[in-house]
Amino acid sequence: MSVVTRGVRNAFRNQVRTLSIVLILSLSIGLALSMLLAHQAVNQKIKSVKSSVGNTISISPAGVRGFEGGGTPLTQAQINKVKALPHVASVNATLSDRLTSDKTSLQSSIDPGNLGRRFASNSGASGGQQISGGANAPDLTNFTMPVTVTGTDNPTNLASTQGGGTFSLKSGQVFSTGSSENVALLGTALATKNNLSVGSTFTAYGATIKVVGIFDSGNTFSNSILVMPLTTVQTLSAQTGDVTSATVTVDDVSNVSSATTSISSALGSAADVTNDQTRAQESITPLQNIQSISLYSLIGSVIAGAVIILLTMIMIVRERRREIGVIKAIGASNIKVIFQFMSEAVTFTLLAAVIGIAIGIAAGNPITNMLVNNSTSSSSNSGPTTVSLSGRGGANGLPGGGAGFRAARNGFGGGVRNTISNLHTNVGWDIILYGLGAAIAIAVLGSAVASWFIAKVRPAEVMRTE
Amino acid sequence: MLQVKGLSKTFSSGDTAVKAIEKISFSVPEGKFTSIIGKSGSGKSTLLCLLGALDKPTTGSVIVGDQDITKLSDHALIKYRCQKIGFVFQNYNLVPNLSALENVMLPMEFAKVPKKERTERARKLLEEVGLDESKQQRKPYRLSGGEQQRVAIARALANKPKLILADEPTGNLDSQTGKMIFDLLHGLARKENTTIIVVTHDLSIAGKTDATFTLQDGKLFHK
Repeated sequence: MSVVTRGVRNAFRNQVRTLSIVLILSLSIGLALSMLLAHQAVNQKIKSVKSSVGNTISISPAGVRGFEGGGTPLTQAQINKVKALPHVASVNATLSDRLTSDKTSLQSSIDPGNLGRRFASNSGASGGQQISGGANAPDLTNFTMPVTVTGTDNPTNLASTQGGGTFSLKSGQVFSTGSSENVALLGTALATKNNLSVGSTFTAYGATIKVVGIFDSGNTFSNSILVMPLTTVQTLSAQTGDVTSATVTVDDVSNVSSATTSISSALGSAADVTNDQTRAQESITPLQNIQSISLYSLIGSVIAGAVIILLTMIMIVRERRREIGVIKAIGASNIKVIFQFMSEAVTFTLLAAVIGIAIGIAAGNPITNMLVNNSTSSSSNSGPTTVSLSGRGGANGLPGGGAGFRAARNGFGGGVRNTISNLHTNVGWDIILYGLGAAIAIAVLGSAVASWFIAKVRPAEVMRTE
Repeated sequence: MLQVKGLSKTFSSGDTAVKAIEKISFSVPEGKFTSIIGKSGSGKSTLLCLLGALDKPTTGSVIVGDQDITKLSDHALIKYRCQKIGFVFQNYNLVPNLSALENVMLPMEFAKVPKKERTERARKLLEEVGLDESKQQRKPYRLSGGEQQRVAIARALANKPKLILADEPTGNLDSQTGKMIFDLLHGLARKENTTIIVVTHDLSIAGKTDATFTLQDGKLFHK
């Protein structure tokens, strides 16, 4: 019989004690594993949020947010200045405008509804439409939504210029980058409303525009817009060189903060410069809290397990002093006796690990969800609203078509915050191996002090007690 | 076989030094059965510890064969205890979780005897001490005191030691069983040509040995 076999058998000498130790240890290992699972799930979520933030920075004229506020448009010179800054990989400039019925043959596919009329009324503008009635009570009965047009110098990345979403080309093709032709891409809803298809024409700003492509964005608002070359919109709308927003792509995510600072310094008070990292950080903060809690709990559980096995082994060694002395007297070395007791400790912890892994797998998801729910509810009580809702029919910010830029913010923030509650733990072989590894580590740590006691037991002392 | 020269052991208890054994010298020829008798506290167990290399003397030497065991390193002492010495204790001191057979095999495992060989020898020794096959598989708590001591004797003989040290081997047994155990120990030792030193206060045992020493207040007298 080897030293290891003896150690394993010794673990079952006192079955009641063995059962108690294994149960307590398995709870400790189960908790440690649950915390590890929660930690990993949260880590993955944080990575996913950070990767979804991307490496972009938004620039808009100071005081302007979509079609709200006021101020002076950015100029091409300012955009060129930004392009020259360190870490700036590319800049996509856009000019947004609204085409009222007197400027285009297109009819908006968005029904104004109560919101559209209310926004039009509150803004004091009629969107180019004749509003009858007195100043206190404008008649908006015949009010129709203006068509939002976006001039872009990067038609291949509509998601970026339109503030996120999934844009797919349904028919035709995109116009070329830097184009100045009278061409346009239409959202599916707008095309359907106006019976337009690829090759059809319509009028805008008094010019004939040819439809080269039709896209689907998956949401009512973006499917009602019109995308044209930047230069074309600037020329036709008599806003040559003007830019209402720009999206800067930075060479690396880690440089987003420094690039944001550089752009803010370069443009001064003329522009509002924002990046998604700040908003992402707000969403990530509860996750980071869970990450810390799970890490501390993990360490605490492992330490608790080690202490349990440590005290158990010290108790066992003290109980078996005479036996240790006898074994040493008949020729066992310290190392052999220590190995025997370590095998006993490893047996305890491996048994506990088997039960603990089962507990950890079963409890991983509920514990993670509980931590997430507690964390997000406390953060929502003290922080911003975590869920973004929009009404059906194109109400995406204020007013109607003027919220292209806000879509990015609401879409992003709401999306991330909503997915926080959708955390799921994944149990793979790596987790099981971690569990077993932790069990062995606990056993070795826990029996280290016991080993010291074993080494100190002299056979002569045991003889003297005979 | 065994030569003890000027052996002393002093224990310190607080500020006072207690002389457990004082300048003991004696020798035991190979294959002889020697008894050391003495009252409780006379230093019998201390002497046995020193002879068995379980403790180091304050002064003096213990020469077994041609080796002074008081000068051996810790590693060499483990080897010495494993291969040269066999112990028989008053309370048997068998490992409770192991069967009788496994208890006898244990010293051979420490001496790195191959498994097959140690199993065979352990079985043979247990048969010689009178334990049949069914009892060989029993754990100590299922054996009587006499049977446990038989297992302890078999264990002491396992590595064919040159010297067996027995501490009150019949102390926990009735007189009839004690006599049987003594005869068994004596017979086996004679058969294996093993030197035996028995520490006892049983004068009837002492009378049957080849030589008897009396230990009194740490000093040894030849009887």
